Amino acid sequence: MTDERESMSPTKIGLGVLWPAFWTALPIKLAFVLVFLAMGIMQFEGRIGLAFLMLLASPVTIFALPTISMGLESHIGEGVGIALLFLISIPIDIWALGVVGRTFFLEKFRKEPPDGLGLTLWWKSALVGAIFLPILWFIVSTVTSTSISMAHSFFELEMFKGIPVAERISIELTIWGSIATAVLLLLLLIGVSLVGRMIRGTASGASPATDNYQGLIKRWDLMRVPADQGLMLAGVTGAGVVLSLLFWAALPVTTPHPHECCKQPEVKVQPPYKPLDALNKDEKMIVQLTAQLEAIEKRKAEEAEKNKGKGKAKDGHEAAPPAAKKP
Amino acid sequence: MEHSSIPSTQPTAIEKVIAFIDERVGLKQMQAKMLNEPVPGGSRWAYVFGSVLLFIFIMQALTGILLMFYYVPTADHAYASTQYIIHEVDYGWFLLSYHFWGSTAMVVCVFAHMSQVFLWGAYKKPREMIWLVGLALFGIVMGFGFTGYLLPWDQRAYWATTVGVEIMDKTPVLGDFMARFLKGGATPGQMTLSRFFVIHVMILPAALMGLAGLHLFLFRAAGPAGPFRGTPEEIKAKTDYFFPRQIWKDIVGMAVVFASICALAFWEPVVLLEEATPDPGDYHPEPEWYFLFLFQLLRLKIFAGEFGQFLGAIALPGAFMALLAALPFIDKDPERNIFKRPIALIGWIVVMVAILLFTVSAIINREFLD
Repeated sequence: MTDERESMSPTKIGLGVLWPAFWTALPIKLAFVLVFLAMGIMQFEGRIGLAFLMLLASPVTIFALPTISMGLESHIGEGVGIALLFLISIPIDIWALGVVGRTFFLEKFRKEPPDGLGLTLWWKSALVGAIFLPILWFIVSTVTSTSISMAHSFFELEMFKGIPVAERISIELTIWGSIATAVLLLLLLIGVSLVGRMIRGTASGASPATDNYQGLIKRWDLMRVPADQGLMLAGVTGAGVVLSLLFWAALPVTTPHPHECCKQPEVKVQPPYKPLDALNKDEKMIVQLTAQLEAIEKRKAEEAEKNKGKGKAKDGHEAAPPAAKKP
Repeated sequence: MEHSSIPSTQPTAIEKVIAFIDERVGLKQMQAKMLNEPVPGGSRWAYVFGSVLLFIFIMQALTGILLMFYYVPTADHAYASTQYIIHEVDYGWFLLSYHFWGSTAMVVCVFAHMSQVFLWGAYKKPREMIWLVGLALFGIVMGFGFTGYLLPWDQRAYWATTVGVEIMDKTPVLGDFMARFLKGGATPGQMTLSRFFVIHVMILPAALMGLAGLHLFLFRAAGPAGPFRGTPEEIKAKTDYFFPRQIWKDIVGMAVVFASICALAFWEPVVLLEEATPDPGDYHPEPEWYFLFLFQLLRLKIFAGEFGQFLGAIALPGAFMALLAALPFIDKDPERNIFKRPIALIGWIVVMVAILLFTVSAIINREFLD
């Protein structure tokens, strides 16, 4: 058992702490996200999944995201809410890493968690994230765009031009998707393992726990139960009520308009063909054109009549002189 | 008159009401039965999906009822009443958008729940019946999505339904009858809308409530499967009651899902296209996102022609569902650890990757159509 603990891979350690810490902090952060969204002080651009992950997966993204946004010209959204969420995330993450870190130290390392573990783990992971994530972002973006153009040019070859569109899309996607996913997973594993190494380094200085397994489980289990449960329940309920009231007070009555930065592409559909309307319109046009035609014909007939009359008169007039010339 | 030296504590009004009900229906016994269920290996986040699904269904029912106060299920007024809900009714946009994204969340959670049960090997003896009822519930959730999609009566709704019914038409023997029954005429119209509405708000909710009750009953009868790894001592040491830790995790799961649905409703509120007509105009018909992979699959040349379409639309999905139903009876090995069941693990990965690949392909395919 001791060997197993000592040989625990840094990736396992990193995942074992970051994954539960993320889920522990997420509900609290989401409550704030919701209020900020309702208040209209936070807008996300198209890649919502990414934006959410980047925002909520801190501490590793807390410093990395501004670096990526500024350095690599990647815009994820607008609004003071994003900055506010970052600020609120710091104490939440320190608390979450503290809770998870303490239980992890006891159960997996069988070591006494040192004081201020949450803060130590937070600043160290934030530092690792700030250096590693922009590199990851740059490499994955480059690899993805290169593999997309490579897959495209592959299918531009004469021998592959006959492949139907649906098949071509799926094969292209498989090619560039596999390459991009493999690179992303590899880099993520390296990143998590770096965090794991950092956690192991912190654990190496801690003193060993003396309790047996049952005793340790009881300890880490009780660590997550608040000392004053009534106070905790009242606090959580109170915060929930305040946030709910804030949410309903801020919720727009009508559909909120998207922010200038983050407008969705408008779906425009050509007005559909309505047979009855088109028939009525055509009939009206036919009646109108018939009336116009009749009017033109009438006018022409009148003009012709006039011309005829004039002609007769002219003829008469012209004929008159000879008549007048009659003796 | 005797005065007792022990201070008497008079029950409060609430305690009296609880005692009154308890005496008649056995409330405390029921509560103990519901909350004191032992969870082998202790509470886990992986177990929250069932409770989360129940929560989403309750929220869908609530928002659905509120929407029904304004919605008119007729071909003449369905579109206008939906537009009225979006633009005129106070918070109507939010209710409709929540209901729309709630259906998506329900499909995602059903997939997650089924995946968890499959990967944990929790469908094996003695839980075969739970798995079978779960599959029926999966069908009902898909049915909810399919029937609800038509109700706004815009071009997207109309053509998604037309495509869906055409796919259904390819089923041998029953296909023609089912398609004619659902459409109620040569083309989708008033009868289609009425039938879809009744199925969506009456038949499916009733079926879901009944089957969900049965699912829970069977689950409680068989008990939770517990983790697939760990020594019996470890599992025993960590075993806990359903209350409070698993309940707490379930509540957190529900809160996360609620907040995510609300965030999606803000990010992309429901916007209708033009009113439904039998002419698609420039609109390229396609089904709801969770049927997109099947739709894209049918675009492949291998599935061209009458037989190919039958193969892709009916035979393959039908065979897959039959395989899922037969799974607990085929896979009788008591081993539950997914890392010791390579065929199951590879099969799950292949299915998930295929669904993802064809769904994304369908999205990319839109560019070629435009």
